[in-house]
Amino acid sequence: MEKKYGVYICKGCGIAGAIDIEKLAKAAKSGAIKEENIKTHDIMCSPGGIQMVKDDMKGGVNTIIIAACSPRVKYEEFDFPGAVTERVNIREFVAWTQPPMTDETQSVAEDYVIMGIAKAQRAELPEPAVLENLSRDILVIGGGITGMTAALDAAKAGYKVILVEKELQLGGFANKLYKKIPTRDFKEPLIVDTEVEKIIKEVESNPNIKVYKSSKVEKTKGQPGLYEVTISTNGSSETVKIGAIVLAAGWIPYDASKLGYLGYGVSKNVVTNIEFEELAKKGKGKIFRPSDGKEAKKVAFIQCAGQRNPDYLPYCSSMCCATSLKQARYVRQNADALAMIFYIDIRTPGRLESFYREAQNDPGIMLTKADVTGVSDAGNGNLFVEMENSLLGEKAKVEADLVVLATGMVPATRAPQEYLDGLTQAATKGDDAKKAYIESTPKPEFILNLDYRQGPEIPSLEGAYGFADSNFICFQYETRRTGVYAAGCVRQPMNMTEAQEDAAGAAFKAIQCIDHVARGVAVHPRAWDLTFPDPQLIRCTACKRCTEECPFGAIEEDEKGIPTYMLSRCRRCGTCMGACPERIVSFKDYSVDIIGSMIKSVDVPEEEFRIIALVCENDAYPALDTLALHRKSIDPSIRFIPLRCLGGMNLVWIADAFSKGIDGFLLLGCKFGENYQCHFIKGSELANYRFSKVGETLDRLQLESERVTMMQVAIDEYHKLPEMINQFVERVKEIGHNPFKEF
Amino acid sequence: MAQETIASPDLKFVNDVIKGGGESLKKCYQCATCSVVCNLTPDSTPFPRKEMLYAQWGLKDKLFPNPDIWLCHQCSDCTAYCPRGAKPGEVLNAVRKMSIEHYSVPSFLGRAVGSRQYLVLLLAIPAAIFLIILASLGHLSNVPRTGGGQISYHEFLPSLYIDSVFVPVALFAVICLAIGVSRYWKDMVRASGLRPSQGGIANLISATIYEILSHKRFEKCNVTKERKISHFLVFYSFIGLAITTAWAVAYLYGPSIMKFLGLKPFSWMLGPSPYPLTDPLKWLANASALALLTGITLVVVYRYRNKEKSGLGGYYDWLFILVVYSIAATGILAELFRLADIAILAYPVYFIHLVVVFFLFAYAPFSKMAHMVYRATAMVFAKHIQREP
Repeated sequence: MEKKYGVYICKGCGIAGAIDIEKLAKAAKSGAIKEENIKTHDIMCSPGGIQMVKDDMKGGVNTIIIAACSPRVKYEEFDFPGAVTERVNIREFVAWTQPPMTDETQSVAEDYVIMGIAKAQRAELPEPAVLENLSRDILVIGGGITGMTAALDAAKAGYKVILVEKELQLGGFANKLYKKIPTRDFKEPLIVDTEVEKIIKEVESNPNIKVYKSSKVEKTKGQPGLYEVTISTNGSSETVKIGAIVLAAGWIPYDASKLGYLGYGVSKNVVTNIEFEELAKKGKGKIFRPSDGKEAKKVAFIQCAGQRNPDYLPYCSSMCCATSLKQARYVRQNADALAMIFYIDIRTPGRLESFYREAQNDPGIMLTKADVTGVSDAGNGNLFVEMENSLLGEKAKVEADLVVLATGMVPATRAPQEYLDGLTQAATKGDDAKKAYIESTPKPEFILNLDYRQGPEIPSLEGAYGFADSNFICFQYETRRTGVYAAGCVRQPMNMTEAQEDAAGAAFKAIQCIDHVARGVAVHPRAWDLTFPDPQLIRCTACKRCTEECPFGAIEEDEKGIPTYMLSRCRRCGTCMGACPERIVSFKDYSVDIIGSMIKSVDVPEEEFRIIALVCENDAYPALDTLALHRKSIDPSIRFIPLRCLGGMNLVWIADAFSKGIDGFLLLGCKFGENYQCHFIKGSELANYRFSKVGETLDRLQLESERVTMMQVAIDEYHKLPEMINQFVERVKEIGHNPFKEF
Repeated sequence: MAQETIASPDLKFVNDVIKGGGESLKKCYQCATCSVVCNLTPDSTPFPRKEMLYAQWGLKDKLFPNPDIWLCHQCSDCTAYCPRGAKPGEVLNAVRKMSIEHYSVPSFLGRAVGSRQYLVLLLAIPAAIFLIILASLGHLSNVPRTGGGQISYHEFLPSLYIDSVFVPVALFAVICLAIGVSRYWKDMVRASGLRPSQGGIANLISATIYEILSHKRFEKCNVTKERKISHFLVFYSFIGLAITTAWAVAYLYGPSIMKFLGLKPFSWMLGPSPYPLTDPLKWLANASALALLTGITLVVVYRYRNKEKSGLGGYYDWLFILVVYSIAATGILAELFRLADIAILAYPVYFIHLVVVFFLFAYAPFSKMAHMVYRATAMVFAKHIQREP
């Protein structure tokens, strides 16, 4: 495609007041860009401005450079299908953050426009990669309340669903419950039927849902739209084609046998909350205690039993407080009976607070904060709940005839993750250690059995305790395996109502995935992106960095170690582009060459300092925009270049920049570690890792290592940015000019 | 090492607190805002948070033998700031009522004074006593007047009869109170694990009395700050009326006693009532009566003014307020009707006055009147165990 350029400079929003537009237009002129290709407009985003571009497009313009506001705004206005469009941010990065009408301000603006042109010259119009023979069916793993709801929601939306349940019947834990907390009104009645049978019936009679009971997923091969899933039922297997997967494998109760100090396993009259449900269900609301079948009239509930405790379960299962309050209601169906609840805090978020209040108003439901230290025998099958730091007494005990432990939820994904993490660890010690591990460790039941290079299950996430949680708070249901959407208690501890909402969310995510794959568009977070990584495999050295570093396990490899991209698993972050030492991975509008030429197009006057900053476009870039919105100033020596993810940072850019005479190089990534923010799992962390090797490059150039630095910034930390940036600029100025500038 | 306590929840007690004016009890979720905003509580193991929990669990053994429920003066700062609407002030008030009931002897009277359905019976007792006396004197149909033809309550119901009723009643009240309070004291000693000792108690009592007389605790209240005025008026008018009574006794029985002792009676000993308005006794009596009426009116006004923040109170409170109100009102009206010579109104009002005064005295160990003694005891005990300075 022969490129015909149009450069459009906006004068609005204070741009013309800060920048000499005529001079800027002149600066844009070069080579292929003639004077007549450069236009200005008072308000580019106005219908007049847009029309001007569209008219030019009719005249053949197919490569558009808009020098106006941040690309994060007005993206609907500046959408020109069929043309390569590059947005140059001279409003936020220049007009709003630099003093008006100075030479320095002018050169900042000129650099940005020239960088934009450099990018537009190399960028190409993307064509979507649409795969063939796609399946639109959804696989739901788990037939509990979450899985059934997801299946129904997807089926109602017109999708065919295959529901795999490992038990003999559908329903999961809901089958065991005597009653549930009402969903809407917490006044009366306070406990209602679960109606799980109704849902099971609905699922089983839905023509769009095919139910596999007593079944497991034996193997999941392929990628979204093209999964081949093998389901085994009582020894026989069947392979089905699947578009996307909802993972609703649920939870298992925490192993209460570890809670001997709370009397579990010591006395029959110490039961878990799930066992209590079974007792209530068996007695049709009456609670007959296990030891002697006597009706329990003084029931003690111990909250957080083995929860929020690093020695047992470190987290809060969120549903136990409301569950115990509900179970206290069971007890209180007998007017003489007492329900005593010992808690650390009562956690009943949202509208459940009303349920708590209502329960609390019952004189026979007694609650106290307490650190329960143990449960001991009180004779006749009764028990003492022993506690400290309670208002009942510094050391106090209360007699009960039945003790219920509010044990927590362990996600079904935890055991496989732990097993696989152990295996990875053992493998680092050599083949013998790996073999020994496999022999000595009982293999838990796997859930997905993915046929992926990076492993058969959702990888474990630091701080997620085995939950198949998303890598980022904004992306519920998204796991790190594109096309697999987690819902319900496998994702986070939650109650039935929340699980049903979750199920709907995950089902729609699965539908969205199927739809995007069909159109060749990336899924979240670059849900508009038609580009895809297109490696020049002929130059591949099979170093396997890309296959290992891909955060989504999107790259398989053949027996020689040559990567095979599974495009519908890819989220277009460009991590592979940064990983590749041969620099063979490119996108149509994003490549090592494109970013490199942007860097090289920055004018480096001998007497001035110039610093390049590569910024994460998900956190640092919006933070910079916000900073501009607050009219904070930024040092004029800096030029910002957005990266899809800092994980795409290639070391060659640093070498290029310094050889050109750039004085400093700044990487602005998102936060990693405990407070991770990365939209692509660990891009910032990866950049930091690669960055640790930058010393070699600098040593080779005989430059000070302090000329390059990496900083982490969260999207809301715009107020910290000026100081962070200025400190770095000061440091670079102290070091002095890059000696390569003279060459 | 702290002693291990066995807590025995008591659902009936919880229900009793709720019925006795602590309806909001169960709303408490132990955030401790109440203990933080309270200006009266000691810093260590502060009230009323722990009392709220004890009450929720029905732990009367922890609530009663504890000076804290009485150290609370129901400022209602806690109630005003409670984020859950749990009204600790009202709950503690209900608990105090139950505490009086718990320690008072005979206990059936305690229960009777606390419950609405016995009110008529309790009023009927003095009414019957006085009616019987009046009937036996024949004064129900034919009321004698003074020599000067004035209305005379002394002629209507001679003081000897009144005193022969009130002296035993007062004695009964004092004995009952003394028993109740000593039970309370012993229980506190037991619960606190203190070895009973007498040393230094006298000082503590005088310090407590000074505190009560000065009303300085009321100054620490925020929400019901003005209560100091109303309580002050009621309190001192009662003292005024007590002095009046003693004074009148001197007038009445002074001459006979002097004579009995072979002495010449003082000229100021006027003998039986009525006394002239110019007499200093009448000054004190009338001033006290007006102060009582003003004070108790203010009590009602303040209660209504603060009802949103601190609650209106229950039957037990209002019974006491109404009794005091009736005493003040009937006392003043009886005097006015007497002076105006409206016999048809004067005698019935005086009769009612006698009934309510009887009510106040006879039931004092069981009614809110007892708070005076229980609270004072608690204050002394708190000082005794160094819970308070």
